[in-house]
Amino acid sequence: MNSPRKIAITGLGVVCGAGRTVEEIFEAIVSGRSAIAPITQFDASRWPVRVAAECNVENKILVTDRKLHKSISRTDIFGIYTAESAIQQSGLLAHREGLDDAATIQFNDRSGIFAGSGGGNYGCNYDFFQAMAESAGDLKKFGEQFAESVNPMWLLRNLPNNVLCHVGIRNHFKGTNACITNHCVGGAMAVAEAAAAVRAGEADRAVAVGHDAPFEPETVFHYHRLGLLSPEMVRPFDRDRSGTVFGEGAASVMLETAEDAETRGAKILGEFLGSGCLTEATGVLDIRPDGDGLSRAIQMALADAEISAEAVGMIVAHGNGTHASDASEAIAIRRVFGENPPPVTGFKWAYGHLIAASGILDLVFALTALRRKIVPGIATLNLTDPEFAPFPVSKTAQQPRSAIALVLCRGFGGMNVALLVRANL
Amino acid sequence: MTTRRRIAITGIGMVTPVGNDVPTTWANLQAGRSGLATIRHFDASGFPVRIGAEVKNFDAAAVINNSKLLKHSTRSHRFALAAAEEALTDAGIRPTVSDGHRWGFCVGAGMMGVDYRELEIVQKFCAPDGKFQPDGFLAENFPADPVAFCRSQTNSGLALLTRHFGIRGYATAVHTACASGGQALGTALKAMRRGHADFMLAGGFDSMLNPIGLSAFCLLGALSTDNDAPERASRPFDLTRNGFVLGEGAAFLVLENWDSARKRGAKIYAELAGDGNSLSCYRITDSPPDGDGPIQAIRQALADAGSSADEIDYVNAHGTSTQMNDKSECAALRSVFVNQISRVAVSSTKSCMGHLIAAAGAVEAAVCALAIRDGIAPVNANYSQPDPDCDVNIVRAKSQPGKIRAAMSNSLGFGGSNSSLVFRNPSEVDA
Repeated sequence: MNSPRKIAITGLGVVCGAGRTVEEIFEAIVSGRSAIAPITQFDASRWPVRVAAECNVENKILVTDRKLHKSISRTDIFGIYTAESAIQQSGLLAHREGLDDAATIQFNDRSGIFAGSGGGNYGCNYDFFQAMAESAGDLKKFGEQFAESVNPMWLLRNLPNNVLCHVGIRNHFKGTNACITNHCVGGAMAVAEAAAAVRAGEADRAVAVGHDAPFEPETVFHYHRLGLLSPEMVRPFDRDRSGTVFGEGAASVMLETAEDAETRGAKILGEFLGSGCLTEATGVLDIRPDGDGLSRAIQMALADAEISAEAVGMIVAHGNGTHASDASEAIAIRRVFGENPPPVTGFKWAYGHLIAASGILDLVFALTALRRKIVPGIATLNLTDPEFAPFPVSKTAQQPRSAIALVLCRGFGGMNVALLVRANL
Repeated sequence: MTTRRRIAITGIGMVTPVGNDVPTTWANLQAGRSGLATIRHFDASGFPVRIGAEVKNFDAAAVINNSKLLKHSTRSHRFALAAAEEALTDAGIRPTVSDGHRWGFCVGAGMMGVDYRELEIVQKFCAPDGKFQPDGFLAENFPADPVAFCRSQTNSGLALLTRHFGIRGYATAVHTACASGGQALGTALKAMRRGHADFMLAGGFDSMLNPIGLSAFCLLGALSTDNDAPERASRPFDLTRNGFVLGEGAAFLVLENWDSARKRGAKIYAELAGDGNSLSCYRITDSPPDGDGPIQAIRQALADAGSSADEIDYVNAHGTSTQMNDKSECAALRSVFVNQISRVAVSSTKSCMGHLIAAAGAVEAAVCALAIRDGIAPVNANYSQPDPDCDVNIVRAKSQPGKIRAAMSNSLGFGGSNSSLVFRNPSEVDA
């Protein structure tokens, strides 16, 4: 049997409240700066929750084609920007320039795109409010009038799969693809599926993207009512944690076979080793307190990567700062790693919870941390929750035990994803 | 080299505009009976398009019989619950406490989770004059409903079904518009091949038949406006076709490893043999006139199945009944099938069922499996005037009997995602 194809990471792209380059955001993380600040996108002055990690970069800076802005939404702009940053960094487009026509066609047909998409928002439906107000509950009247006040391109602006479409059109990536709409784990699963496709030979390379703009009044309202939001900050694993805080943005990872990357002399940043994705069948909101789903996802990822738990040098936890998630996450980690787990950290205190983009953004910074040989501290951590202390989280930086990181991502639907990545040092 | 796992389809469930279960749906499709009619479940009389392919006489309470589950489900979730239940019953196997972790779940889920009545509440509080004011949510008497919020999540269908059936393994929800159902099955196939699940409940569900969904497609001009003759409004490949008819429904398949299915003596409809995916990279709604994009998906699916054009006896086309789609798809089929094209039977069952959007690919995969089992290529209804741009062997007038060695289902979505699946007759596998 041929040995399974090794998957190289050759490009990264990021945008979130903490910046729009890997260096800028990582610098914020290691210096303890959080992007969480008062909400400016709507007047939240009377709201019980008034903070988020907003992305304050203008659309035109992220995607220069102004015409495109009319047919997509802001989450798509984040996604396209990061996917193209990752593709650019990989040098693949310059490489394609050097190919002859037949090889170019082959290259394009063998280049995939996997997106984890927030999958739409509440606000898009508000475009119909004018027609609803004017028709005052009379659907017949609504049917006669909606076309006067709603953009004819409404559906296309709001397709969950816009990033696939436009990254494809703009970069001629025509290969295997998917748009995963699985709440928080979409972006993490995009990486897992992209890597599996390249490993199985369904594509030679694929860009994985996770993008989301999850906070809008209606989501803030409901998450708050459910007790999921903190009014001030994210304190992963802290005794006084009070919930999560929304962020927005995107992250992307360019994956290709290690053989191709080596042959074309690309800079290999790391290797994607394996994944585990599963549900614990608890419905939309519930989380098993025993860490069942997450511990099984970690075991599945270790088996997929064919490595042992001892090989893992650091863990980037989901650490969303809610009571139930962090507690069960600590238990799951202990179930797999025993009494002496590798250093654990989490990044949501710095850039908030990006929902569909969260796992893939964490993956980018797990890889970056490994490459810098540092496990950044959790700046908002004051006292590790005695319920699960001792637990290897720290306010200050720790040292990774090896060049392999485990990245954890959890979401509605009892979803749990574990990703394993090795840095190329 | 280790041999690749072969995946069997051992259970099917469907809720469609032509039937609320598999036997009814399949009988009506074979007879070419239309499920298209004037929209009944909301007042569409003022809309430019007043016809649709609704699921009819669906008594959710009778099928689901669980009030908590009903409360947590949208219209399309209920179709999904009923179809999944039928599929598992049909397969004669279901997840248990001890093997639930070896069961996976893959679904093509629709993009609309907000019920129109819920939107009306938000409008009343936050935009009484049409302009959105966020502080409306903060009103004392705003009727916040956490259950409605849970129903509206992108993966709430996944959450509901995995919990109800006790599926604790690999799980994903995908949305590539009209290609979603096909891509969900392809994703399931690949996850099973790499050993991430031994059993899979895979399919799709959707309902955009609500005031917002209907408006959205009306605005795009994608729908047939034949309001006075709904039963003939969807006529894929016909020269006079003028748009698709919006449908709703769900289908699920039970997938399992071939050898273990044989071992337990399961009936096998077909092998889910190959999956192909591509992006057209052309335009967001238009299909490439030369079939570029769909061609790659079809070729990949054949190669993935270890099959070739020679083996395919039936193609269940995407065939939406729009001018562009049907032309592009035929160009793709001609390009791949070349001299076989006049032999291969092609039909679009959207002619009877309309377009089920994110569920379409799953429903049509189920149709392929049934077509193989019974040796019948279902009719492409309403086909009377050939279009020279759609010069393929359309199953016209009535369904066509004859052994199907292998079948193909195509799903081509807005945004340019293309999915093609290949299904193989069990007799060809065992031969």
